[in-house]
Parts: sequence; structure tokens; C-alpha cells
Amino acid sequence: MGKKNIYWKGFEELNKNSEIVEKLEQNEFVEKIPVGEGDKDNNPNRRDFLKYAGFSTAAAAIVGCEGPVIKSVPYVVQPDRIIPGIANYYATTIADGFDFSSILVKTREGRPIFIKGNKDANSMNCTNARINASVLSMYDIYRLQGPKVEGQNISWNDFNLSVISELERLSSQNKKVVLLTQSFASPTTEKIISEFIQKYPNVQHVIYDSISNSSALDAFENSYGQRALADYDFSLSNTIISIDADFMSDWQGGNYSSGWSKNRVPNKENEYSMSYHLQFESNMTLTGANADNRVMANPSELRYVLQSIYLNLTNQKYSGPALGPYLDRYVKLAVESIKKSGKKAVVISGLDDVDSQEIVLMINEFINSDAFDISSPRLIYQGSDSELLNTISELKSGNISGIITAGVNPGYTLPNAEEFLNLVNKLEFSLCFSMKEDETANSCKYVAATPHYLESWGDYEFKTGHYYLSQPTIKPLFDTNQFQDVILTLSGSNNNFYDEIKNNWRSNILKGKTWGKSLQDGFYYSYENNIPRRIKTSANLVNLPIQNTDELDLILYTKVGLGDGQQSSNPWLQEFPDPITRVTWDNYLTVSYKDAERLGLKNYNVSNGALNGSYVNVSNEKNSIKVPVIIQPGQTPGTVGLALGYGKTQAMSEHMNIGVNAYKFYNDFKKTQKVNISKIKGDHEFACIQLHNTMMGRDEIIKETTLEEFIEKDKSIWNPTVMVSKNHIETKVTSKEVDIWREFDRSTGHHFNLSIDLNKCNGCGACVIACHAENNVPVVGKEEVRKSRDMHWIRIDRYYSSQDTIQGDVEAKDSTKGFSEYKSTSSNLEKASANPQVVFQPVSCMHCNHAPCETVCPVAATSHGRQGQNQMAYNRCVGTRYCANNCPYKVRRFNWFQYSQNDEFDYNMNNDLGRMVINPDVNVRSRGVMEKCSLCIQMTQKTILDAKKEGRRVKDGEFKTACSESCDDNAMVFGDINDKESEILKVKDGDRTYRVLESIGTKPNVIYQVKIRNTKKI
Amino acid sequence: MSSHYEAPIRKPLVLGDKSYADISNDIARPVETPPDRDWWIAFSISMIIFLWGLGCIAYTIGTGIGTWGLNKTVGWAWDITNFVWWVGIGHAGTLISAVLLLFRQKWRMGINRSAEAMTIFSVIQAGLFPVIHMGRPWLIYWFFPIPNQFGSLWVNFNSPLLWDVFAISTYLTVSLVFWWTGLLPDFAMIRDRAVKPFRKKIYSLLSFGWSGRAKDWQRFEEVSLVLAGLATPLVLSVHTIVSFDFATSVIPGWHTTIFPPYFVAGAIFSGFAMVQTLLIIMRKVSRLESYITLQHIEMMNIVIMITGSIVGCAYITELFIAWYSGVEYEQYAFLNRATGPYWWAYFLMMSCNVVSPQVMWIKKIRTNIIWSFIISIVVNIGMWFERFVIIVTSLHRDYLPSSWTMFSPTFVDIGIFLGTIGFFFVLFLLYARSFPVVAQAEIKTILKSSGEIYKKNRDK
Repeated sequence: MGKKNIYWKGFEELNKNSEIVEKLEQNEFVEKIPVGEGDKDNNPNRRDFLKYAGFSTAAAAIVGCEGPVIKSVPYVVQPDRIIPGIANYYATTIADGFDFSSILVKTREGRPIFIKGNKDANSMNCTNARINASVLSMYDIYRLQGPKVEGQNISWNDFNLSVISELERLSSQNKKVVLLTQSFASPTTEKIISEFIQKYPNVQHVIYDSISNSSALDAFENSYGQRALADYDFSLSNTIISIDADFMSDWQGGNYSSGWSKNRVPNKENEYSMSYHLQFESNMTLTGANADNRVMANPSELRYVLQSIYLNLTNQKYSGPALGPYLDRYVKLAVESIKKSGKKAVVISGLDDVDSQEIVLMINEFINSDAFDISSPRLIYQGSDSELLNTISELKSGNISGIITAGVNPGYTLPNAEEFLNLVNKLEFSLCFSMKEDETANSCKYVAATPHYLESWGDYEFKTGHYYLSQPTIKPLFDTNQFQDVILTLSGSNNNFYDEIKNNWRSNILKGKTWGKSLQDGFYYSYENNIPRRIKTSANLVNLPIQNTDELDLILYTKVGLGDGQQSSNPWLQEFPDPITRVTWDNYLTVSYKDAERLGLKNYNVSNGALNGSYVNVSNEKNSIKVPVIIQPGQTPGTVGLALGYGKTQAMSEHMNIGVNAYKFYNDFKKTQKVNISKIKGDHEFACIQLHNTMMGRDEIIKETTLEEFIEKDKSIWNPTVMVSKNHIETKVTSKEVDIWREFDRSTGHHFNLSIDLNKCNGCGACVIACHAENNVPVVGKEEVRKSRDMHWIRIDRYYSSQDTIQGDVEAKDSTKGFSEYKSTSSNLEKASANPQVVFQPVSCMHCNHAPCETVCPVAATSHGRQGQNQMAYNRCVGTRYCANNCPYKVRRFNWFQYSQNDEFDYNMNNDLGRMVINPDVNVRSRGVMEKCSLCIQMTQKTILDAKKEGRRVKDGEFKTACSESCDDNAMVFGDINDKESEILKVKDGDRTYRVLESIGTKPNVIYQVKIRNTKKI
Repeated sequence: MSSHYEAPIRKPLVLGDKSYADISNDIARPVETPPDRDWWIAFSISMIIFLWGLGCIAYTIGTGIGTWGLNKTVGWAWDITNFVWWVGIGHAGTLISAVLLLFRQKWRMGINRSAEAMTIFSVIQAGLFPVIHMGRPWLIYWFFPIPNQFGSLWVNFNSPLLWDVFAISTYLTVSLVFWWTGLLPDFAMIRDRAVKPFRKKIYSLLSFGWSGRAKDWQRFEEVSLVLAGLATPLVLSVHTIVSFDFATSVIPGWHTTIFPPYFVAGAIFSGFAMVQTLLIIMRKVSRLESYITLQHIEMMNIVIMITGSIVGCAYITELFIAWYSGVEYEQYAFLNRATGPYWWAYFLMMSCNVVSPQVMWIKKIRTNIIWSFIISIVVNIGMWFERFVIIVTSLHRDYLPSSWTMFSPTFVDIGIFLGTIGFFFVLFLLYARSFPVVAQAEIKTILKSSGEIYKKNRDK
């Protein structure tokens, strides 16, 4: 006894001089810890990332006490600046060639999980659905994980060496190489590229915008000598005349709706005025849907409408073809409105011919429009159609020996993509910078894996004098190198891109602001007022006959969801319902009633309500595609619409591989094309989340009034208090007498209200995606959406009028007498008008103070919070769905299946990488559980706790929800109505406030503001 | 009370030249003889359907409610339709045995045993649905106000679903006790006749040691009366509470004060129809024509006709009130029921429940067995559709048109429903071969007053 026991670990210990024993004594761990700069392993950087960013991805999947137990590893050494549970925000910039915006990125334990607009930036600070969703595109398992040569993995060193040798060979033989890139709008990138071209003079830089803005750029260049786009500030206009410009979504880089919405609410401060917005267009666009008057015209008519407005305005005689009385009336109205508003008017156009764009510039100059900004024009697009066409013909003729692509995917976006890929295949040298092994990458010899923009550095000049910076918000997940760094290496520079930006900004851009501060802010602004001189003084008038053939005009457009298609493997965006058609997971041909009837095309609902549509063959001389049809109210007869950005096939999972590739019709990069359409057999199965399109004249859902009525008449006329009958006496629904409930005292603590202004909301859907990201809303896939099982916590209902106006519907319903008339009116009201008025209404949980859902839950899983929220205790829910049935607003969403970590739902929540986007503050719900909007209780609670820690009251404006935060148009105001100073209280007590379905007595905490239309009657 | 004088104008309730021994023999025969081939065929088919239904239930619980055709707007469809349908069917038993006992309706004696059996079996089917329709059925015990360690978690006494739990469980308990009480002398009869020791053992266990003493009979009578008194309010309460699931909600088409009486009438209606269906077959198969006579069938047809008319009245009242209320949602809900995409369901409901029982005004039809059988089936189809119409057509188009959609069942929905029918028949077929299917002890009490042979003798 007393002798210390020795425990042998192995036979090796018998050997006193064993190396292994010695090693074991020195090292705590037998194997090398996978830490440090990566070596030859497949994904050392990923491991590396995990070390620095915390081994905490698993924490994201924390579920209730019954859920699977997931072990998470705590920090051994806590990284600087990262405190578990506390989010860090970084200012950065997105510029992917289609979307351009200054943004703030929320990171949790080193993972970017949420994106919002950088409201401190002076311009280009809006976020749309695509930008909000772009954070998920980073966590895409289909991303390239390292550089490849001919499909084989290779190290960056070897990659660079062999590319350099190839380039040097081509350079010495003076063989031409084309550098085909997106528009970078980046001063330092331009510098780097020019240095690269200096090193290799055989390289020609060609800019390619997948969605062309060439005609507007050409017009601006012709007029002012600079390749740029005029910028507009719609908040400065009282009259907006738009001819086919969808400025609320993607027109000329977007970011316009926030300006538009500023001038849409008449109130005391602005002397009860609001802008008048007249839209001439062919497709039903988001912008047209929000216009005060919407006029349907086909593309050739649109040109003459613009021309006629110009000539009438400048007192010249219009001599083009007759437009007919309908269009003439609106042209007259447009001209009168412009004259009346003078400087406060603006005319814009999305017509893609140079002449029309020149006319637009001349009109705005003529009226000296306040909104029209050419002193600081947009530089975000630079591409030229003719240059690109030249390049392609040179490729065909064999003048070009090599190609380098960056930020573009011509193998998908070119109309003759297959031919292009064949040509690229034959080239001596082909190098593709890409995040994915997409169509182009598959045809190139060298594929350089590039990081996502959230992993990259960058600088931008979106507008003259408006500079932006982007910085990595996470260490690259994969073995990637950004385009600029590789180009620097190829040019023989020892600098990296970060150094280049810093040096360039310090020496050329920054004046008086430090680099550090600029990086923290994400932008730098140096304004010089230099209005460019006009170099061309006359406009060419269009001289084309108005179409008179059997062919239809195909108008290609980009959807709010997928845009140009570069994020088409993003499940949030695929499941995002189109604001107009509310169809998810598809593109389709929008056809007018008239043409549908002529061609025998149908949309119908099958037995479970799901929407089916006929197929047509869309063909021109080169292509013929089978496309499903959506019959679109408001589509101009003789025109059809088709969204670009779908039908991508490479580098994405099979169930994302949907829709048709409309780029095949994008000949000469013109959005208007002549096509033939013929019906073919079979029906397409759509996943549409709104199967009924009209409001049935139910004025308790959306309240509307006209501007005149709003100004002249009392609130009791246009927003009367809802009355209910009690003992045959009409009593206010708000009075205590009709209330059968005992009221709680809500005067202490916080009481949250959310106000949604229907005059400002344009239905863009940025809030839908923001909610997706913040609340871990699952993606359920096309089949489930088709079964009406979409999971969005906030949806944007879109109603068409059945009469000419929404008001007309209400009147039609109210004036109905007798049963047979009632029956016929009701069935008439189900059908949307051929050119309807449109209204959007975001609907989330209303957080009723007298919630029907709360009383019926047998286990009290949903109950009322002290702060006014209707809360959902997921752990307690047993899933009877009684609450959902009893919800008059139908906002509750049920987990019909297990949506996370289930191979049947193979979206981002089914892989470790995709789950990195999960917000650790919010549960991932299990199957059989009801879920719904929580008014972002995790955000409000954090605000309260922060204030408590700092020993102060919560300031007004601090409370936010994901949706209110994402709304660039400020349509959503959220706050505490017990704070007497708060904005929400002012809004709530305003005259326009109403509550949806108030007569039921649910007393919602989500309130709406009456929509005011400035519609002009002719 | 057995051998009092009965007016000759009353039709005899026991036909044929039956002695007490004959009654014992007739009732015990199905229990004492081995089942024939037809029984086996019927049993096998029921069993197969039942097992298929069990498979569908297992699939649902294993995969999720998503295997059904439900969606965000229509959160209940076949599940609750079937639930209400089965509960409704379960109404006839108690009505026949309790209410008719209190009203001294002797004709109930031929049918009450099977009607009660049917009640219990259908309440078992009904009870399945609230469990399997849950998203997380393994948490079913959270429905009960049991002490727990979750903190102070308690059930929500405001919820009609919780009231259902109490209503249905009370009903099942009282019905079972009532049924079993009536069964005691009959089990004892079989026990006394049994030769094989095993059978004797079983039936003596089932008969709870019934000895047939006068005290036994006295207590038997008293307990029956007390239980009848207890069960009578249940006849009204159960379906009233089931109707509260809908009536207390805010959904147009559900939020209706007429629901309690309307549901009770409908329940009796469908319950009698189901009794009719079962007994018409059973009297033939088990050769019980002497006890379940044409008069019984006619009586039940009259009840069906009357309750059918009450239900029809309720349908029309609903339509009237929808118009009279001036509430646009209510008006549209009923317009949509009658003329919307589910018009065919409404049409089936109206024609099966309101029109078809009206033919019972014709004596020839209501005393015709084939017609009675057909109409009893038609009524049950109609009553299923009534619940489908109430649940699905109200939900599928409620307040906000943006959420309007439709419902279509999947094979799982259908499989589970068929499975419960299979289960029901499995139970009923087993019952028909092991239980005394007619309350022979009670029949014997009226043999001398209402038996055909005794009446004839008296008239002579």
C-alpha cells in the first residue's frame, strides 16, 4: 500500500527511449489540431473559420427541451470583439452587377445572418427581397470550394502560375484575350484592370450587363458625353409620368421606391398634397400596380405616347400615327399634369431605344425637373450592347484566342448561349471567375473560385461622388480568392486588393475623412456640383409603324424575386411569391384576357384549389419554348410578358431547376421581341399562394378614399367608426357596451403596435424575406406551396378590382338587392377586371387584444403577452390547428412536416452550411407545431434589456421588427403606444387609422392607414 | 310492471309463438353456435379495412399531418367531419335506452342493446380522431388537467376542445355503465346455459355474479332508472358541446347560435339511421325478426322523419338568418355553401337529409324493409356531408379572400375514415357473436302483455 499505482497507457511505455512516449508527454493532443493556415486538405479554410468564428453553428439549431440534443463547443480562446449572444454589425456594400446598395450586415458569433439597408448612407441604401436574401446565397452548398483546372482541384499557387504562363504566351504571340466582366462601378477595380491590361496589352476589357441598360446609357452619353444613367429623386415630384419604367423594382438599378413613397401621404405638413403617378405600360408591373392611373399600351404605342407627350409639351405638332381616343386622353392628361406641376414633374421611361431615352432626357431638361439629377448620375451600369455584339462576332470569326469572365455568366444569360459556350470550348485559353460551377465555368479551362460579396473587399462609386466600401463580414468559407486579388497576382503585383483600395482611397478619394471612419460607415460622399453640358440638342423621333401583325410583343422583364437569375439557387427567393401574380417557384407567360380567349388558354383551380395553366409554345425564328400561361389582368392585349432569370440548370439542386430560360429570346438585348404563340397540349401545375384575386367588395379589409374626399370631407365619411348592432341599436365597435371581455390594464409597461401605411407600401416584399431570415421561417418547396401550405409569417395580399376601381366593387356589392342579383354580383366580383386597380396589403399576425385563437387552444399554447403580443409557446403546442381555423386573418402557419433536417425538404435547413444562416435567437420549429409572427419579440426584448442594463428608458425608434426595419418606404411604423412621445402613438391616433375586420371585435395591435388614391377621372 | 293489460289496439312487440324458453334460445343462439361463413367473410373484410386504416394512422403519426389534404386555410376537414359524424351516430343508443326508458316506451326493448353497443363502438371511433388529428399526438395527456411538473401549466378551460374531452369521456363512461348494467342478467342467462367451463368462466366474470334474486332485480331496476336519469341530459349535452367547437368560433358559417339544438337533432337523426342500418341486417342474419319487428322499423323511421325535418328546418333557418343578419360574411358563407365550388356537397346534404326522409310520410315506404334500409344509408351519407359542409365550406372561404383555397382528401384521409368504419364493424361483428344482442330479460317482462300469442289468446 502507499505505493502510487501506475497506469500503463500502452506497451510502448515499457521502452524508455520511445519517441512516441516523449511526444505524448509533450503534446496534450495526439493528433495535430486542425487549426492554422490551411494546407493541402480539401477545406482547411472552413475548419479555420470554425476556429475563429466559434464552434457554434450547432447552437443555431437549439430547439425545445424535447428536441434532439446538439452538443456545441464553447470557445477555448474567445475571439476579440465576438461576445456570444451579442450581434455585431458591419457596413458593407452589395454590387453584384444587378443590385447595388449600401447595407448593414448583422453577424452572430461570426456568422452573417441578416442584411438591412445602411440608412446613414446618402443614396443607394435600400434593400429589396434579393439583397435581403443574398446572405443565404453565401451558405450555398453548390458553391465552388476552390480553384479548378479542367475540372481538377488545384492549389491557388499552381493555378496562378499556369494562368500567368498562358497569359504570357498569348501576350507574346499578341493573341487577343477578352476580359468580360460585370459592371463593377469600382474605382480601384478599374485601376487594377487597367494595370492588368498594361501588363498584357493583348487583353481587351468588355463590360457586359446581363440585363442591358445600353440604350439609356447611350442616350445619356450622346446627350452629355458621359456613360451614365440620370438619377431621379421622386420625393421632389408632384407628377410622375412613367412610360414603361418599372422603377419600384429593378429599373436602372432600383432604389427609387423610397423617394416615391415620401411624397405619397397627404398630411398637414405638406398641405394635404400627394404626388400624381401616371403609368403607361404593357405588362402589369409593380410600379403600374401602384400608379394612380395605369394606362395599357403596347410597346410601339408607348414610343408614340412618349413622343406625343414631348411634342405637345414643347408646343410642337405630333405627326405620328393616331393613338386612338383612349391613349390620346391620357397623353393630354399627362401633358396637363406636367404643365401644372412644372419643375415638380418628372418623366421617365423604360423603353429600350436610344431615341426614346434621349427624348426623356430632353423632356426633363425642358421642364427643368427637380427630381432629375444629371450632376451626379448613376455609374452602376456600363455595358454596351454594340461592344458586346462586336466581341461575340469576333469570337465567331476566331479573332479572339482567350477569354476571362468575371461576375457574369454569359453561358446562361446570352440569347445564343450554347453557341457561345461552344466557341469558348474551342478557345486556347479560358478563365472563369465564379462562385459556382455554372454554365460558363463548365466550359472554361480555368475556374477561379471567388468568394461571396460578404467575404470580399471592394470599393464602389455608384453615383459620381458617392463612394462605398465593402468589407468581409466573415472569413472566406472556402478556398476562394476574389477577382481583383487574382488579377493583381497575375499582373505581378505584391499588393492585395485591400491594400490597393486603401492606397487608392487615401491618395485619390478621401478628403478630410479617415479610412477607418469610411470603412466603419461603409460610404464616403464628396459632392461637386458640375452639371454636364449638353452636346446634342435635338431628338430623333421614332418612325416605326404601329404594329399590325399576328405576332405578339413579348416583353421580357425581371421579377422582384429572382432578378437576373444569379441567385436562382436561393430557396428563399424561389419561394418568394411574385408581388403581382403571387406565384412562387416559376416563371410563366403573362397573357391578357383577350388573347387568352382567342387562343383558348385557361387558368383553373383543381380540387385542392391549386392553380393550373395551359401551356403555349412561344417561338421566334430561332427559338421555341414551352411556357405555362398565367392570365394576367392588366396585361395589354397583343402583348405577353415573360420573366428572365429562370431556367438555370447548372450548380443548383434539381428541385431549384425550374422555369424556362427567357434569355433565349433576349435578342440584341432588347426587352421587346416579336413572337408567335400557339397553344399546346397539357397543363402546368403552379404553386400560387393567392388563389382568389379580388376583395369581393369587402371594404372592411382595405379602406380606400380619393384625395378629394380625404381633403374635403370628414373622417366619418371616408373612415367611419365601425358600428355593430346591440339590441337593435347601432353601437360603436370600440365602445365598452359591445365588449363581452374583461379588459386588462395595459397602461403600464410597453404596448406594441405596428402600423402599416397602405399609401406607402408598394408590395415589394422585402419584408417577406427579412422575416424569413430573422425568424428562421422554413422553405417548404413547390409541391407544398401548391397545396396552400406556404409558411411565410408575413404575406402581401394583392387584390385586383373587379369593376374599374376597388371603390366600384364596394359600391356594386352595396347596391345589390335581392337574392338573384346578389348571386350574380358575387360571382361577377370574383373576376378581376381587364385593367384593374390593384392594392397591396401586408398581413401578418394582427396580435389581437381579443384574439380568437387564444380562447380556443385547449392547452393554452397561445396566449396574450403583457406587451400586446399574441404569443405562441411552441413547446406547449400539440397541434390541434383550432387556432388557425379560428383566425379571421388566416395568418397562422402549421408545420405539416418536419421542415428542418429532413431529406424530403432538401433546402438550406437540411445541410450544415445552409443552417449557418439560422438566427440563434429564434427557435427552429418542429413538426406538428403552429407558428406565426411574434412581432419579433426577440428584437423588442433585446432592446428592453439593453436599456435596462444601461439604466435608461427605451427611446422611441429603438423598437423594431424585421419587417419594419426592412421597409425602405417607411410604410411600417412599429413602437410602444404607452410611450406618449412615440411616433406610433401619433400614427395610431391619426385619422387614417383603421383595423382590418374591426366589426368582429378582435381589436388588433396591427393597424392600417387608409389608402388614398389620387386617381384622375377622365 | 310486466303483465299488466295492454290495449288490443297496440301492436304486439314480440311476434310469433314465443315462450320464455324460446326467447332465451333465440338470443343465446348466435353466442352458442359457431359463426357461419358469411360472418367470417364480413369479419375478414372489416378487419382488412381496419388494418389498412391503422396503417394510414401509423403513417400519419410517423410522418406528419401533412400526409392529409389539409392546408393553411382549411385546418380541419375529414378528421373533424368523421369525429362529429361518429359522435352523432353514437347518440341513438342513449336516446333509445335512457330517454325512451323514462318515457316508458316498451318498443325500445327490442333494439336498445344493439343501439347502445353501436353507441359505444362509434364513440370509440369518434374518440380516435381528436387524438390523431393532433400535430403531436404523443402529447395527448396535455389535454387532461393532471398535476404536472411543467410548472404551473394547466389546460385552457375556455377552449371548446377541452369541453369535448370532458363531454365525450363522460358520455362514454355513462353509456358503458348503463349498457353493462342492462347486460348483467343477460350475461347471467348465457352463463347459466353454458356447458363448457371456459365459457362459463368468462360469462360469469362478465355477469358480475348476477344471481337473479329479487334484490338483484330491484337494484337492477333502480340503477337503470338512475342511470337513465343521468344519461338523458348527456344526450343533449354531448352534441351541444361538440357544436360549441364551431358555435363559439368567429368563422362565418360556424358562429351560429342554432347549432346546439340543430346538432342534437342531427345526431339523433343519424344515430337512428345507423341503428336502422345495423338492425335490418342483424334481425335477418341472427333471425331476430320476432323481436325486432316491422313495427320497430316503422317507429325508427318515424323518428328519422321527424328529426330529419327538424334538421331541414335548421338548414333553412340558417339561410334565413344569414340573410336577415345583414352580415356580409355570413351571407356570402351561405351563398357559397349553396352555390360555390362545394355546391354538390350542399346538394347531397340537402337531398339526403331533408328530402329523402320525407318519403317516410308514406306508410308503404316506411314499412318496407328495403326502402328503410336504403334511406338509412342515404341519411348517413347525408349526415357525413352535413359535417363536411359545415367544416370545409365555412373554412375554405372565410373573411379574407386572399386566403381562400380548397380542400381535397388524400388517400390517407380516406384510408383513416374507412379504417374507422372497418374498426366499427369489427367490434360490432364480435359483439353480435358474443353478446346477447337483444335485452332478453327485458323482453321477457313484456312477453305476456305485448307478445303476439298472448294478445291473441286474450282476445279470444
